[in-house]
Amino acid sequence: MKTKMILSAAGLLLSVALPMLAHHSFAAEFDDTKKVTLKGSVVKVDWMNPHIWLYVDAKDDSGKAVRWQCEGGPPNTLTRNGWTRDALKEGDQVTIDGFMAKDGTHTCNARSVTLPSGQKVFAGTNTDEVKESK
Amino acid sequence: MSSNIRTLIATGVALVAMAAPAFSQGRGPAGPKPPEGPTPRTADGKPDLSGLWERPYTPDMSAFGRNQSPDPSLPDDPKPKANPNARAKKVLPFTALGKKEWDAYDAANGDYTGSCMPFGLTRSINSPDPLQIMQNPKYIGFLFEQNTWFHLARIGGTHPDPRKMTPTWFGDSIAKWDGDTLVVDTIGFNGRTRLDTIGHPNSAKMHVIEKYTRTDLGHIQYEMTIDDPVTYTKPWKNVRTFTLRPDWQIMEYSCEENNKDFFEGHIKATQDPNNASGVK
Repeated sequence: MKTKMILSAAGLLLSVALPMLAHHSFAAEFDDTKKVTLKGSVVKVDWMNPHIWLYVDAKDDSGKAVRWQCEGGPPNTLTRNGWTRDALKEGDQVTIDGFMAKDGTHTCNARSVTLPSGQKVFAGTNTDEVKESK
Repeated sequence: MSSNIRTLIATGVALVAMAAPAFSQGRGPAGPKPPEGPTPRTADGKPDLSGLWERPYTPDMSAFGRNQSPDPSLPDDPKPKANPNARAKKVLPFTALGKKEWDAYDAANGDYTGSCMPFGLTRSINSPDPLQIMQNPKYIGFLFEQNTWFHLARIGGTHPDPRKMTPTWFGDSIAKWDGDTLVVDTIGFNGRTRLDTIGHPNSAKMHVIEKYTRTDLGHIQYEMTIDDPVTYTKPWKNVRTFTLRPDWQIMEYSCEENNKDFFEGHIKATQDPNNASGVK
């Protein structure tokens, strides 16, 4: 029961702190009911507008490596918050918590990116208190 | 305590820590204290609105948020039972046509900004990235970091004959001083935009009145009134506070650069490229 409560609390927090997408509506692309947690190896980082993209190889349930692409914050805002493209490098092991794209592809919106040390990478730029869906 | 439970607790604590700033600070860490001092003025004695301004991201003009407020004269919108943490909101005064359009709108069927089309005036003002204002006695210039767009308002003068105007995304803006407040009046919209990220509708008949008042060195009190008789039964406004950020510089923002969302088909651009607002 305690486990369920903790999961419920975590789910509630995720549901109210949705990623901020300024250049289009979150609901236009992602499903706030489909959470995903990926553990994998960084392949590359696209540090470009309108959002950065992380490419990660993560194993699926059968142990097969699957290439995921996850959208992060806008590079301008990340830069203002002190982050650089060098915060992640190829081969880094990360855990990504996010929301899946509605189209069912291996595409997600990264809510958080965490290194094995527990450090949050690119934190503080991809969230807003607003759930900007109807 | 099992290791699984410990992991879950740690996850929960981490999520709380991660989410907490979103409630208290909005987007990202709070900035430094803005500079203090009197309202700066230009050589002609008018308030000088120049500067790089941090603005509250306003994805929903009917909702309350940090440094932003919808029209207090509108009725309260009860919070949905399923989401007690939702922001407090007001009910916008839709016409029957406006209500029909709003009820039918689903961004999953298309959001014109997903293909980097111009946000238009209101959605650009509502965007989270900073705004550079430049001013001389004849013009006030708005340089939006969002997608590196700009918009000019002529100080003084009148609008062209509306029947001869070419409708545009940002409209035709004229400005005048009302005491120490600059009032920017805009018509001539193309009706292809949404007011805000959540997608409130508007028509080509929209008339937007903005008021900029630099109350001191570090702040602008901003007010936007939406006057669109096709979509809303009466004019309504939204007010907010802009904060000067002398520690920032405006940056390039090329939306088209790597817009994978659209290039790869994860997002639809719009239902109807000639009528994204849904309202004529």
